[in-house]
Amino acid sequence: MDTGSHLPKTGMIGELSETRYWIYLLLLPSLVIILLVIAYPTIYGMAISFREMRLTRPGLNGWVGFKHYLVMIDDPVFWVALKNTVLWVTFAVVLELGLGFIAATALNRNVPGTGIFAVLILVPYFLPNVVAGHMWALLLDPRLGVINDILVRIGILNSYKAWFADPNTALAATIFVEAWHGFPFFALLLLAGLKGIPQDLYKAAAVDGAGPIAEFRLITVPMLKSVIAAAVILRVISLVNSPDLLLILTGGGPGDATQVLSLYAFQTAYKDFNFGYASALSVVMFVILMVFAYAYIRLSKIGRE
Amino acid sequence: MAATRRSRRMAADILTYFVLVSMSLFCIGPIAWMFLTSLKLEADIVTQTMQYIPNRITFQNYVAIWTQSSFPVLIGNSFIVTLITVIVCLATGTLAAYAFSRYTFKGRNTLMLGYLVVRMFPAVMMIIPLYVVLRSVGLIDSRIGLALAYTSFLLPLFVWMLKGFFDAAPKELESAARIDGSTRFGAMLWIVIPLARNGLVASSIFVAIAAWNEFLFALMLTTGQGSRTWPVGLQLMVGEFQLPWGVLAAGGILSILPVMLMFALVQRVMVQGLTAGAIKG
Amino acid sequence: MQLNRRELMAGATAMALASQMGTARAAGAINYWHHFASQSEMEGLAKIISLFQAKYPGTKVTQEGIPNSEYMAKVSSAVVAGGKPDTGMVITERFADLVAMNGLVDLSARVKAWPGKSNFPDNRWKGLSQDGKIYAVPAFTFVDWMYYRADYFEQAGLSGPPKNFDEFVQAARKLTDPSKGRYAFSMRGGAGAFKYVIDVMEAFGSPIVKDGKPAIDRAAAIEAVTFYSDLFVKEKVVPPSAPNDSYRQIMEAFRTGQTAMVWHHTGSLSEISGALKQGTQFQTAPMPAGPRAQIARVAYAGNGVMKEDNIEDAWQWVSFWGEPEAAIALLEATGYFPASTAALQDPRLTSNKIYDAAVKTLDFGRLPNTFVGAAGWSENVVNPAFQSVLTGQSKPTDAVDRMIKGLDAAMR
Repeated sequence: MDTGSHLPKTGMIGELSETRYWIYLLLLPSLVIILLVIAYPTIYGMAISFREMRLTRPGLNGWVGFKHYLVMIDDPVFWVALKNTVLWVTFAVVLELGLGFIAATALNRNVPGTGIFAVLILVPYFLPNVVAGHMWALLLDPRLGVINDILVRIGILNSYKAWFADPNTALAATIFVEAWHGFPFFALLLLAGLKGIPQDLYKAAAVDGAGPIAEFRLITVPMLKSVIAAAVILRVISLVNSPDLLLILTGGGPGDATQVLSLYAFQTAYKDFNFGYASALSVVMFVILMVFAYAYIRLSKIGRE
Repeated sequence: MAATRRSRRMAADILTYFVLVSMSLFCIGPIAWMFLTSLKLEADIVTQTMQYIPNRITFQNYVAIWTQSSFPVLIGNSFIVTLITVIVCLATGTLAAYAFSRYTFKGRNTLMLGYLVVRMFPAVMMIIPLYVVLRSVGLIDSRIGLALAYTSFLLPLFVWMLKGFFDAAPKELESAARIDGSTRFGAMLWIVIPLARNGLVASSIFVAIAAWNEFLFALMLTTGQGSRTWPVGLQLMVGEFQLPWGVLAAGGILSILPVMLMFALVQRVMVQGLTAGAIKG
Repeated sequence: MQLNRRELMAGATAMALASQMGTARAAGAINYWHHFASQSEMEGLAKIISLFQAKYPGTKVTQEGIPNSEYMAKVSSAVVAGGKPDTGMVITERFADLVAMNGLVDLSARVKAWPGKSNFPDNRWKGLSQDGKIYAVPAFTFVDWMYYRADYFEQAGLSGPPKNFDEFVQAARKLTDPSKGRYAFSMRGGAGAFKYVIDVMEAFGSPIVKDGKPAIDRAAAIEAVTFYSDLFVKEKVVPPSAPNDSYRQIMEAFRTGQTAMVWHHTGSLSEISGALKQGTQFQTAPMPAGPRAQIARVAYAGNGVMKEDNIEDAWQWVSFWGEPEAAIALLEATGYFPASTAALQDPRLTSNKIYDAAVKTLDFGRLPNTFVGAAGWSENVVNPAFQSVLTGQSKPTDAVDRMIKGLDAAMR
């Protein structure tokens, strides 16, 4: 049937693609994998949040309804962790998006040497969290940390500062480390997005006399919208869910200054062995993320076109 | 007029270099320090007087990490797990992303949100049921099982990212091919995917890096040498009573080398693709 | 008798074959989870495995290291989801939780029939048994003590290490000189801080748990937390980084000469000896006594059987750790104190003066508190509560109330 086409033939799949089942065929493989691996664990995890499940108390068992959720309302650590989660995620994402955008714009100008700069700028993202965490622990160490040494030498600090020991700087320091580690994610995505914007658009705008700011507002941002939205949403999810970096840097301390929900859930599950409560915390995180994602998608209108 | 444009261009170039250089320093500085640390003796790291340039250089840390952690085996495991993850994502995720980008159908937005939702449930609580699932099909403590677990939460990431890139690829060429009599599948395979190949590469890289660096699932779902990945092997160095900085730094350096190598290769392909003006068609 | 090369080769091949046959038989192969990490620990472990393999060629041991901080996470998920190892390392602090989650197999009958039992006095078993049942065989011991800089003490005109908390504070004031960046005491305020908070509380006369019930004496506990946190808050004899200082940082502070005293146990001796000279630069002393009690822990680490499948081989392996040859091999590699009295007679211990403080401590040292939920309460409640006192976010009273409330919740 594709007699007129200069493209290679695609055989049976090509014919199938003309049927109305095509969309489902496209979606089926990924759906199968996701449902196979995820459906049961998710349901199981949610179910536990309505049960008593403490490994060290095998006698306590059975359904407890909303007990864990009610306990949570009176749990001051939960509220602190919630507040810290919001701060940690918001500041980290804003910083990362900002730095990533600057980097992408600079890289997109294709000045000589861009290839090398691109690799250098992306290197932090290659570091496993485990490595990045320990590395920054050393860099910011109150005794062996080179950053302290430099800051003292140039006169910004009087003496070495214990960044992670002071509740006023601990969260900021961890956000800084996270931003360093995570901004290349945005840089690479935005760079790929920028490359996808047809140059003709800018030429046309230049002919119309648009300045760089107008170009940015009228062309760059709208064209990148869906890439930015996807990147932000994915980043928020992974930041909310992954405790590894904080686990290594501060363990939630000092006090509860860097305690976030994912870390709290992790500690509740694997230090207290209270899986019921940890599940309830997870479900709350899950719901918060859902609401955020829904609102964000609504507001940024990436769902419709 | 021409002169001002040229000088403005100059200024922009200078600014660009300024940004690029300072950002590179920001990114590479800590890693350079890690590299220097990896060459120092422990006594020169844990010391009161900061040594910027190591007085004595040793490769002992690299020898230690290589022999102590059976590095080649672990890195091999990481590589295989990453590869399987990327292949599965590419094979299944590209189709889904294409469907989301090109077709409107009932429940599309809900389904897209559904893909995201999958990623939202905290890993902390997924681990145990996932362990049960993998165990019941005999995939616990195996590289395929770990890759499957990664796929489950990286596939949504892949699909969402790629959809953004598919959205950005102009639809006109595709329509033209369809008018020429190409099938939908043909148009997708030969027109849209090549157009979005930067996105494809970028998304695959993210999946690969995420799989390469993942720690929590790898820790919980594997135990034996046959399937343990590099980040877990590295964390093993961090004991109760000792944390040899030099060895850990050497491990960190070793762990970025393969990724940088891969990226340096891909980067060339990427840049070539970009400068060839793929989008302009 | 002399062997030529060919005979040696043949012998080696035969042994390799035999060991492979060992792996082929599922019953003859067991795995062992541990959280050893450092080079010296791994050397000790490898030595013990080869000694064991020589004695029991039919049983093949596969060792699997688990990062120490994630050890309980890994074990607990293996308990819930199935997939426990045959054998695993058990330290006293984690013992109660492991038993409560059905992570360990009752070994009482085997231990009673074991000839090696006589090398272990009753108190060795106490930390590894519950309700009269024994769940693990002790292998080595960590004895709490204090390291101090002998040279700094001399410079400050101090004749010897402080024997009680009063002397401790007096000495600390003399040893501190912030202008030189020198502080008296490496306080552990980050991960693991709870240990010394609890110890000081007991030294001030407040128990933690009595007869399986929470038993914190509020007044004594407040006094204790006030005293201990004041070292940082008021006296300022502790480096400012204390609220995030865990094992690594307190040791580095001591090794780099920032601090003059640090509390830890025998497990860190080899690390400190690597950086400072025994005797002239640093010395060891028993923990100073509090107003009500002198608290130092003697914690036995042992090995337990985690599932029944290969129990015969598993028992061989865990009991082998209690034999003197295994204990000495570990001592040689790491300096870890043996748990068996037979191994304690070894001249390497008796002739080295640096161990005197530990031997003395063995007489009065207590077992660590071990109750179900101890680890969770210590790390998730005591740590943040104490840290917030250090950082000025709350008062000792509030911190103690939070600890009491948390303990009630944990034990309910």
